[in-house]
Amino acid sequence: MKKVVIIPAAVLLLILVAFATTGAYRVPTLEIEFVKERPAVVASVEYTVDGLTCRGKSRGFAGMISGVEGVVSLTTYVRTNTAIVEYDPALTNPVEIETAFEGPIIHEGEEDFLFKAKK
Amino acid sequence: MRVLRTIVQTLFLAGVVAVMIRGAMGLTTSTCGTYCPFAGLVALYSLLRYKTYTCAMNELHVALFVSLVALTLITKKSFCSWVCPLGTVQEWIGKAGRKVFGRYVRPPIAVDRILLNLKYVVLVLVLGLTWTVWQGHLGFRAYDPFYIIFTGFQGHETLWFSIFIGIGVLVAAFFVPMVWCRYLCPLSAVMDPMSRAGFLRLRRNPGLCTDCGICDEACPHGIRVATADEVTARNCTNCLECAEVCPEKGALELTLFGK
Repeated sequence: MKKVVIIPAAVLLLILVAFATTGAYRVPTLEIEFVKERPAVVASVEYTVDGLTCRGKSRGFAGMISGVEGVVSLTTYVRTNTAIVEYDPALTNPVEIETAFEGPIIHEGEEDFLFKAKK
Repeated sequence: MRVLRTIVQTLFLAGVVAVMIRGAMGLTTSTCGTYCPFAGLVALYSLLRYKTYTCAMNELHVALFVSLVALTLITKKSFCSWVCPLGTVQEWIGKAGRKVFGRYVRPPIAVDRILLNLKYVVLVLVLGLTWTVWQGHLGFRAYDPFYIIFTGFQGHETLWFSIFIGIGVLVAAFFVPMVWCRYLCPLSAVMDPMSRAGFLRLRRNPGLCTDCGICDEACPHGIRVATADEVTARNCTNCLECAEVCPEKGALELTLFGK
């Protein structure tokens, strides 16, 4: 019955393959363009965000930064809690964008913080 | 064999419980659902249709589902009896029930055959609802005992209903072994056809077998091992309980590609 070790070996190998290949390709959870015409100069900043865990939260995140003048686009990847924001450097900067998405928002009459950038 | 399997089962169960505890302490946003291969099947739909993922699904779910398919083709439904924490908990509860009743309680064969097909209905319902009413979201989570139990009954709007499902499945497993896996699990339904083709399977050596039937009694899935030359049953999870209790050495052997 030595062949029994094939089972845990196959389990371990296939889990390793799954985790290893997951990083090889990325599909965005959400892609949004906030402007009709892209500015001539566009900068980009990548945040790792606590709370960015699903497509719905990505939409909430988009809502929070949409009011910042100069934000051009948003791309999120929930597996890695990543948000990539493109912006017009003449109009805004990464600190202003971070302040916008960190909130707070008013939830059931109380202040709530949905997102927090990991430093 | 049993020791090795118990070690593997315990490791996966401990991993899921650790994720649950870390989540409750606010140390991670991951849940047991983060590592559920069934979500990969659901994710494939949104990936093909919308070129993106819905809800909290991502590349890991798809990769784990593909790995599960490969594992099933190689080792039949060993995922259920070696990896799945819900399968582990049900198995242990079922064994407790067996000690109390002196044997596994099984429905009559005719009823069992009908119930075995229920999981296909569940699969069609879950996929149908996910791809229509739930619009690609993981709506099944609210009814999935794996998600319910290993999130500590958290994160659902209808808590009493979740407790009813979670506790109900565990109590039912005491009376009917592996009740969720055998009759209702949609992931089990997905694996069934691939499991029949599994390369690693048990073969009975009629020359050594004494037809004592102990293996039949030991099988938590009610498979009739004692009368089969080769265990090709769709429900076989390669738990090897039958081989463990077999008094004749070599009467039941694992074979790979028939060797």
